[in-house]
Amino acid sequence: MLEAFVFATILIGFFGIILKKNLIMKIISMDVMSSGVIAYYVVVAARGGVFTPIVGGEPKGAFADPVPQAVILTAIVIGLSIQALMLVGVMKLSQNNPTLEVSEIEKSNTP
Amino acid sequence: MIELTLIWIAFPFVVGFMIYLLPKLDRVLALLGALFSAVYAIQLFVSQTPLNLRLLDNFGVSLVLDPLAGYFIITNALVTIAVLLYCWGTNKSTFFYAQTLILHGSINAALVCSDFISLYVALEVLSIASFLLIAYPRSDRAIWVGLRYLFISNIAMLFYLVGAVLVYRTHHSFDFAGLRGAPPEALALIFLGLLIKGGIFASGLWLPMTHSESESPVSALMSGVVVKAAVLPLVRCALFLEEVDPIVRTFGVATALLGVSYAIFEKDTKRILAFSTVSQLGCILAAPEVGGFYALTHGLVKSSLFLIAGVLPSRNLKELQQQAMPRSIWIALAIASFSISGFPLLSGFGAKVLTMKNLLPWQVIAMNIATLGTAIAFAKFIFLPHDKMPNAEPLRKGFWAAISLLLGGLVVANVVYYEAYTLENIAKPLITIFLGWIAYLAIFKRLNVKLPRTLERFEHLVGMMSLTLMLLFWFWRAFA
Repeated sequence: MLEAFVFATILIGFFGIILKKNLIMKIISMDVMSSGVIAYYVVVAARGGVFTPIVGGEPKGAFADPVPQAVILTAIVIGLSIQALMLVGVMKLSQNNPTLEVSEIEKSNTP
Repeated sequence: MIELTLIWIAFPFVVGFMIYLLPKLDRVLALLGALFSAVYAIQLFVSQTPLNLRLLDNFGVSLVLDPLAGYFIITNALVTIAVLLYCWGTNKSTFFYAQTLILHGSINAALVCSDFISLYVALEVLSIASFLLIAYPRSDRAIWVGLRYLFISNIAMLFYLVGAVLVYRTHHSFDFAGLRGAPPEALALIFLGLLIKGGIFASGLWLPMTHSESESPVSALMSGVVVKAAVLPLVRCALFLEEVDPIVRTFGVATALLGVSYAIFEKDTKRILAFSTVSQLGCILAAPEVGGFYALTHGLVKSSLFLIAGVLPSRNLKELQQQAMPRSIWIALAIASFSISGFPLLSGFGAKVLTMKNLLPWQVIAMNIATLGTAIAFAKFIFLPHDKMPNAEPLRKGFWAAISLLLGGLVVANVVYYEAYTLENIAKPLITIFLGWIAYLAIFKRLNVKLPRTLERFEHLVGMMSLTLMLLFWFWRAFA
C-alpha cells in the first residue's frame, strides 16, 4: 500500500516534467519525483521494523535498516545542491525569457 | 598500494579546491593532478594484478582496479592533460581549471568504484562539474545547454537510485555483483540511468547538442572521457553477468548504426563529431571484452578532433568546402580522421580489428556497415580543401602541444595489439575506407538531406526515457 503511494509520487513527478510547460514547474516536478525516490528508500529501510538502531539499552522491537537511510542522506544533499544550481541557471535565463516556457527557450537557443 | 590508491582518488578533489587558494598556480596544479593519474594508470598496467578494495566494513565502498579500468584512467589522464595544454595560453579563469580537475577526479572515482552508491555519487559530482564547465561562457545558450544536460542526467539518476535500492532489497548489498538474482525492474532501472548518462541509443540523443554547443576544450573532455564514465559500469556488468551480455551488445550495435547514420547526413563539423561519438560508444559496447582499448583510442582521437574543429575557420561544412584551411591543420585533421576510420599505422586500426574479432556472428554485418559509415562520415573532413598559407596567423603553441600529445598517443598505443598487423587484417580496412570514399564522392557529397531534430527536444528526451525503460524490461524478459 505504502509502496504504491510512493510509486505514484514518482510517476506524478515524472509526468509533471513532461507535461508542464514552465521551466520552474518542471524543476518542482523533478523535486516531487526525487521526494518519491527518497520516500521509497525510507519504506525499504522500514520493512523489517521501525525502531532506531542504537547500541546499548534494551531493544524495544525490530530495528529499521540503517543502510538505505544513510545512503539516501547523500542523495538528498546532492539533489538539493543540483536544484540550487539549476535555479541559479533559471534566474539567469529569465532575464531574456521572462515567460520561462521551455519551448520558447529551446526555439531561441537551438542553432 | 592501498594508500597510494586512496591518495590518488582524493588528490584531484583536494587540489581542485586548493587551486582557489593559489590562483597563480592554477594550470600547474591542474596539470599535476592529471599527471598523477597517468603515472597511476601505467603502474596498473605494470602490476597486472587486479586490486579489489573494500573500504569500511561490509556496506562500505568497494573499488576494483584492473587493467580494464587502467585503459579508461589513462584516457582520462591524457585527454585532461591535452585540454589543459590547449587552454594554457588562453585567458581562462582559475574557476575553469579548478572545475576541470574536479571533473577529472570524479571521472576517476566513477571508473574505479564497483558498487552502485559510490557510482551514483561519482556520476552526480561529474554532472555538476560538467554543467559548470558547459555554462562557463555564461551566455544564454551555454546556460540552457548546461541546464538541459543537468536536468536529463538528474532524472536518469533518480531512476537509477530506485534500481539500486531494489538490488539492495534482494541482497542487502549495493555491489555490482548483486545484479545477479535481482528482479528485472532493478536491472532495467539501473541500465536506464547508465544508458542515458553514457549517451547510448535513442535515450542518449541529448549528447549531440550538448557536445556540439560547448566550447571546444569542454567538448573534447565530454566526448573523450565524460560519457565513458557511465559506459565502463555497463561493460563491467556485461562481463560478469552473462545474461546481461546480449542486452549490452544489442544496444551497442543499435547505437553504432544510429549514430553513424546521423553523422553521414550532418553538415555541421561539431555535430558530425558528436554523432560519431554516439556511434563509437556503441562500438565499445558491441564487444565488451575489448572495450577498454577501443575506449582509449576513441578518447584520444575524438578529443583531438574536437580541439582541431575549434580552430577551423568555420563550423559549417559548406563554407569549409569553399574556403581553404592551412595545410598544417589539415594534416592533423587527416591523421585523426584516418585513425577513426581504422587506417593501419594508427591504433584506431588495432582497436577496430580487436573489436571485430570479438563480435558474435549476428553482429558482424551491422558492425561492418557502421565501420563503412564512419569512413564515409570522415571522408568529409579528409577531402576538405587546404593550402600552404605562409602568411596565415600561426596557432598557439599549446594547441600543437595538445594535438601532438594526442596523436602521438595514438601511434604509441599500437603496441597494445601489434598482432593485428597481418596482411588480411590490413587489407580489409583499406577496402572499407576506399569504398567509403567512393560512396562519399559519388553520392553523399551531393546529397542535401536535413534530418529532423525533433527527437532532441527536451520533452521528447524525457519521454524517450519511459520508452527505453519498457524496451529494457522487455529485453530482459526475452533474454533471461
